[in-house]
Amino acid sequence: MDIKDIVAPFAVWKRAFEKPFTVRKPIDERPGAPRYRGFHINDADTCVGCGTCESICMNKAIDLVPVEGREPSAGDSGLRPRVDYGRCCWCALCVDVCPSGSLGMSNEYLWIDSDPDVFRYVPGVDAKPWDGAELGYRRAEGYRLLDMERVPMPETGHAEGVKSFLELVKGYSRDQAEREADRCVACGVCVASCPAHMDIPGYIKAVRDGDLETGLRLLYETNPFPEACGRICTRACESACAIGSGGDPVAIRWLKRYIADQVELADYGKSLPRAEPATGRKVAVVGAGPGGLAAAYYLALLGHKVTVFEKDEAAGGMLRYGIPEYRLPYPALDKDVDYIRSLGVEIRYGAAVGKDPALAKLRKDFDAVYLSTGLPAAYRLDVPGDDHPRVLDGVAILAAATRGEELGLGRRVAVVGGGNVAMDAARTALRHGCEVDIVYRRREVDMPADPEEIREAKAEGARLIERAIPVRVEDSGDGGARFVWNEAEMVQKEPGKRPVPEPIPGAVVTERYDSVIAAIGQGPDLAYLTEADGVEVRRMKPVTDRAGRTSVPTVFAGGDLVNEKKDAISAIADGHRAARAIDRLLGGKGD
Amino acid sequence: MRELAEKLAGRYGAREWRDQRRDLSSVTVDAQRMRDVLTWLRDEEGYVHLAFATAVDEIERKAFRLTYAVHNHGTGHGLLVHCEIDRERPVMESIHRLWGQAWTYQREMKEWYGIDFPGSPRVDEEFVLEGWEGPPMMRRDFDSLAYSDATYAERPGRETRDPAAYMKEKLYPEADA
Repeated sequence: MDIKDIVAPFAVWKRAFEKPFTVRKPIDERPGAPRYRGFHINDADTCVGCGTCESICMNKAIDLVPVEGREPSAGDSGLRPRVDYGRCCWCALCVDVCPSGSLGMSNEYLWIDSDPDVFRYVPGVDAKPWDGAELGYRRAEGYRLLDMERVPMPETGHAEGVKSFLELVKGYSRDQAEREADRCVACGVCVASCPAHMDIPGYIKAVRDGDLETGLRLLYETNPFPEACGRICTRACESACAIGSGGDPVAIRWLKRYIADQVELADYGKSLPRAEPATGRKVAVVGAGPGGLAAAYYLALLGHKVTVFEKDEAAGGMLRYGIPEYRLPYPALDKDVDYIRSLGVEIRYGAAVGKDPALAKLRKDFDAVYLSTGLPAAYRLDVPGDDHPRVLDGVAILAAATRGEELGLGRRVAVVGGGNVAMDAARTALRHGCEVDIVYRRREVDMPADPEEIREAKAEGARLIERAIPVRVEDSGDGGARFVWNEAEMVQKEPGKRPVPEPIPGAVVTERYDSVIAAIGQGPDLAYLTEADGVEVRRMKPVTDRAGRTSVPTVFAGGDLVNEKKDAISAIADGHRAARAIDRLLGGKGD
Repeated sequence: MRELAEKLAGRYGAREWRDQRRDLSSVTVDAQRMRDVLTWLRDEEGYVHLAFATAVDEIERKAFRLTYAVHNHGTGHGLLVHCEIDRERPVMESIHRLWGQAWTYQREMKEWYGIDFPGSPRVDEEFVLEGWEGPPMMRRDFDSLAYSDATYAERPGRETRDPAAYMKEKLYPEADA
């Protein structure tokens, strides 16, 4: 034996007091790298539950599940992603694609448990130690898998646009439409927000696939006014769009218009369903606006004989007489109306129900009646002097413009109100060469009009006067009117409610105008409903259920007359629902 | 660096020289010249350290792109030498005689990409995927979902909801009624 063999074991003792190379238990803190792809985190309030993370996941590691205390609402499915770490491969595509940017990863990577089923959780909902982690993987700045910018819509410039009534929005080309459609992730969160619950992901896919016949068929399943709605819809869908949670929402309205614009009316029949065999039943529709004609379309499809009674000389209601042609040209509206008429729907023009024929006669001659008479009566300014001959009614001005009548507004015009009718009246007056002031009692942000319309009215030269409460109208003695208002300040009277304008004492302004256009809202004209008809009316509205049934079994009502939203698409949805209810009343299945 | 770039181009037909950073450049050579290039860099130009070797699946070009990272400790300069090989016949010359540790990287590339390095020690042994029987999993046409479905049992309790259908059920169930 060598002497070394005896000494060597003792030699290692010299290391006895050095720091060991082994790892101490419990394990020393060893944080992951700052951008390490560790356990998922999710800001559950920012997340909209669109499921794009689930769609992109290569391993099906993500499920969308309902979570406690979170209900669906506009633009939020209420669902949240649940990650299964039995399948996740930590590629982080879910983080990179997330439209709202709510999903991320912490740099935490240690999670030890003897129960394999715990490694499945809803980030941001099931509390975890790494919630709110500052470090970890996030989508890099400027790096987006989705295209968050909308394909710009070609439009006529404001300076040029205000010179004529030509349509401002020119519509997408095929290339533009397909690129815009390609931005949609087909999550379907928008569908609930559409009053008609149109199959939005379905028709956008049709645009993407270049299959416009399918697109048109999907549009008509829930909406027989694609040309009109493709231009002027209030598009609640776009506010709900998941892509809008982190960028520009998909231009759903323009894509609808693209489909309808591309298919010739003569070719509609190739993609759209034919009417069922005639049932021999007859339905009267009162009012040829979008709601009445939507009801007529679906009733005609179900085989019923429909007659529409319209007091005016053309169909379309507010779409024709309330919306100027630079937003909705008449040929586009005529295309929608003509297709409905092609199904055998008869429209009797100049037939003011109540005068001729009476509602009682319709109830006698038809198996069912649908009332869709809208809100034709403009509210008055309700200030002293509002009966001055230079105080005009906004809706009447728009109707006169549609009819091509001389408006005679003069040079200086005040438009009172903050809704779309006010904006349309202002822009119509601008196109007649007037100088226009829009006078509104609250602030611009409080205006009920579409922000786009407000922006365009201003860009075209209208002056916006906010916080102005009308006081009276006086005669100016030179053929015009002196409009007097009181400047106001916004006061938060009750917490949680919107602030109200309070007049500032002494801050009274007087301006002389050639015309003062009142556009502060409209009410119904229910003169045609007599007591003998027996339709229950409460607060100036026929009382109906969801399907539009009134207190009289064969009388239905819908549209602006009844609903709160007061827009075309809600009226169309009402018409569709009522058509199905009427069909069931008449012995059909209602679908 | 320009000088090295020109020498590499002149001797070995190297191309696409790029200065990625002040202390890091990259260059591309033909695969069959890779071993000569690395030998020359090591023996004549001071790039004595093989930092790593790896591959990328360039499926669109039907190629694997191999990268050898070498380092010159004298100048502090690093060089990434790229080459491409046919994805259908993924065979590459071994460099384990140039650098002893190279066989580890080559064994990794064999397991993850299916790239063979004939003669490389233990190249066919498992690297990290114990008991792996599927196709090389870093190939981009590897369908991880199909593999998982075929290989593993589904754990109970998985369910998912479609946003549009769920919203309809909760918000407007009467639409079909």
